[in-house]
Amino acid sequence: MVIRGALLGLAMVATLAVRPAVADDERGLEKQTMKFTERGPAILLTGNVTSVFDARAYEKLENGLASTVVIRIWVYPENRARPTGFVLLHRQCVYDLWAEIYACALSGPGGRRTYKVKFRAEALKMLTALDQVAIADVKEVEVEERYVVAIVAELNPVSKETLAEVRRWLSEGSGGGLDRGGSFFGSFVSVFVNLKIPEADRVVRIRSQPFYRPRPKPAPARPREEP
Amino acid sequence: MRKPPGRDTFQALRVPAFGYVLAATLALALGAARVASAQPEELRPEERQAEALPDTDPNFGPLITIEDIRVAGNRTTAERIILRAVPIRQGEQLRAADPRLTNARFKVLALGFFRDVTVALEKGSARGRVILVVTVAERGTVVLNRLWYGTSSLAPYWLGLDLSERNFFGTGLLVGGGLVFADHAGVDGARDQWGGELRLGAAGIGGTRWGAHGALQAQRGSEVYRASGPPGSGDNDDLAAFPYRRMSVRGGPSFDLTPTLSFEADARIESIDADVPSGARTLDDGRSVPLDLDLRDGKSRVVSLAFGFDRDTRTDPVLPHDGSRIQAQLELGSELLGGDYDFVVALARYERWWPVRPRHALGLRVAGGAVIGDAPRFARIHVADVNRLLTPRVMGMTVAAAPPPDFLRTDNGDAVYGELGGNLIGEWSYRWFRRPKSIYGGDLFIAAGVWALASEDAVQAVGASGWNALPVDLVLDAGLRIDTELGIFEFTIANALGRVPRW
Repeated sequence: MVIRGALLGLAMVATLAVRPAVADDERGLEKQTMKFTERGPAILLTGNVTSVFDARAYEKLENGLASTVVIRIWVYPENRARPTGFVLLHRQCVYDLWAEIYACALSGPGGRRTYKVKFRAEALKMLTALDQVAIADVKEVEVEERYVVAIVAELNPVSKETLAEVRRWLSEGSGGGLDRGGSFFGSFVSVFVNLKIPEADRVVRIRSQPFYRPRPKPAPARPREEP
Repeated sequence: MRKPPGRDTFQALRVPAFGYVLAATLALALGAARVASAQPEELRPEERQAEALPDTDPNFGPLITIEDIRVAGNRTTAERIILRAVPIRQGEQLRAADPRLTNARFKVLALGFFRDVTVALEKGSARGRVILVVTVAERGTVVLNRLWYGTSSLAPYWLGLDLSERNFFGTGLLVGGGLVFADHAGVDGARDQWGGELRLGAAGIGGTRWGAHGALQAQRGSEVYRASGPPGSGDNDDLAAFPYRRMSVRGGPSFDLTPTLSFEADARIESIDADVPSGARTLDDGRSVPLDLDLRDGKSRVVSLAFGFDRDTRTDPVLPHDGSRIQAQLELGSELLGGDYDFVVALARYERWWPVRPRHALGLRVAGGAVIGDAPRFARIHVADVNRLLTPRVMGMTVAAAPPPDFLRTDNGDAVYGELGGNLIGEWSYRWFRRPKSIYGGDLFIAAGVWALASEDAVQAVGASGWNALPVDLVLDAGLRIDTELGIFEFTIANALGRVPRW
């Protein structure tokens, strides 16, 4: 009876808990109207990920430590899962306390460039502006098919290894060899103030409006020459 | 031949229990599938296309000299504990974008003593000189490691807990201990059991990678054994128990070679005072087999040295989806060291996780060991060490004598202690949800595998050979693991079965 009760309770809790999970996913998505242009062999995107900064993060730009933004951009045919293009951008700015300027480094598929800017707002723009970023090869984007862009921007992301290191003490035993009675799993419960650092200071997920490549207009017919 | 008394009753209980489990698992899976179908893949693209974070350039940014490192916000934790975790030293010259500066926050957080840590630079006394300011917010560091409770036909109830204070009076020392009590039922020779442990540990002594640990443990118990009846009998009339007292002290150093790899050594001195019965066990078919309980009668001593290592590369130790962990330990006990038992115990455990699809991971868990020589009973491999469907020993004391479920119809009912044993378990894990606060995440899992435990005594009792001589059977488990701000919880079939009487 104990087992039946526990399992029924578990099933009920599980059923109730499903709904918020969906709500959380929807809530975390930001929609942004972006600009798409076709230039040469590439589709270019213009937009921004400024929302990855809040007031506190903006203040911290002045703390003398490097602020890093990692931006991942995917191009998808609408309602399909397989992306046709992917771009990874890595941007970093650090404030020189003595020279009172920001040194910024922007890395992407086109290489790495460094800049120096005077004002914090300029540093923010360096970190978050997406200005004519090549996101896909024109050949990969079908004419008159609808596409969307999904962006995930992380402020000061933490590597998985570092995250694991911070929580490593959870799996440490009490000393004295292998715990034969099982780890914390196997004892049903382990209670403590269990803090988990987030994978980044802030993360934003952005989706663009659908866009498509218009069919190229046929070249205007050459006017017939009068005989 | 009389049927094992407990088995049919267990089957009767198990079938509806597994029915409910199946229904619950299906409900959970359907719910999970509903979640998955409700969200386009593009909403979570990072789960589909994992990309390693680009390396930061340690030569980027202005050149700075660390003039001083200041610690703020620590009310109980000693400043030296924090300073030794910071990977930068006073006077060091580095670039402002050096990853060690940003990692300093996480190195201090990894101590496990703080709710939050912020790191910032301030101007120093001259151009290019800076002061590194580390501000911490302390948190409660008491950990409830274990909660023991349950009931069985052998022990009407057992109750206990194990607590640790990980930052004892702000010194960074770990002080912990546990206490457990188990009532006794009507088994001949049984008595109430008590167990207690006191632990002390220190990591990063003097800012080095060396640590030390020690523990004092005592038990006043009664060890149950099958005195008559068929193999695997769980009937209290077929069981008997002998009283014993154990007191042990162990301790040794540890060394963290890297954040993921550590080594440990242990010396153990244990005194055992047991009233060990002799004679023979009469089986149901009239045969009798000599009773060997693997303990010296009266007072005896175990002295051993152990060495082990632990390598853990799992990215999440609580709800793992990738990485691996390997642990191994070799214990050597000898009369040459002053003990009464000559033995070697080798134990190892390995687990590895592969993310196979978004949200899905497959895990492999392998654990096993071998006991060579005249090891004391308590150092041998217990069937609950390899079969999670059974009640684990509580601080080394036996509180249940249920035979393992017999899925394969192998004669494993008599397996209690063995010299060679292990398990191989495959696990499918579904990442149900992840959240930044309060309830961080939950995983559903289904596990299935095999276990084996070879014991000379069991072979003699069963009188079998070949396949039946090596008890091999299945182990199954399924449930939900939850990682929360308050701790870690697991709701599984195995955990439930280990806490209720089987007959």
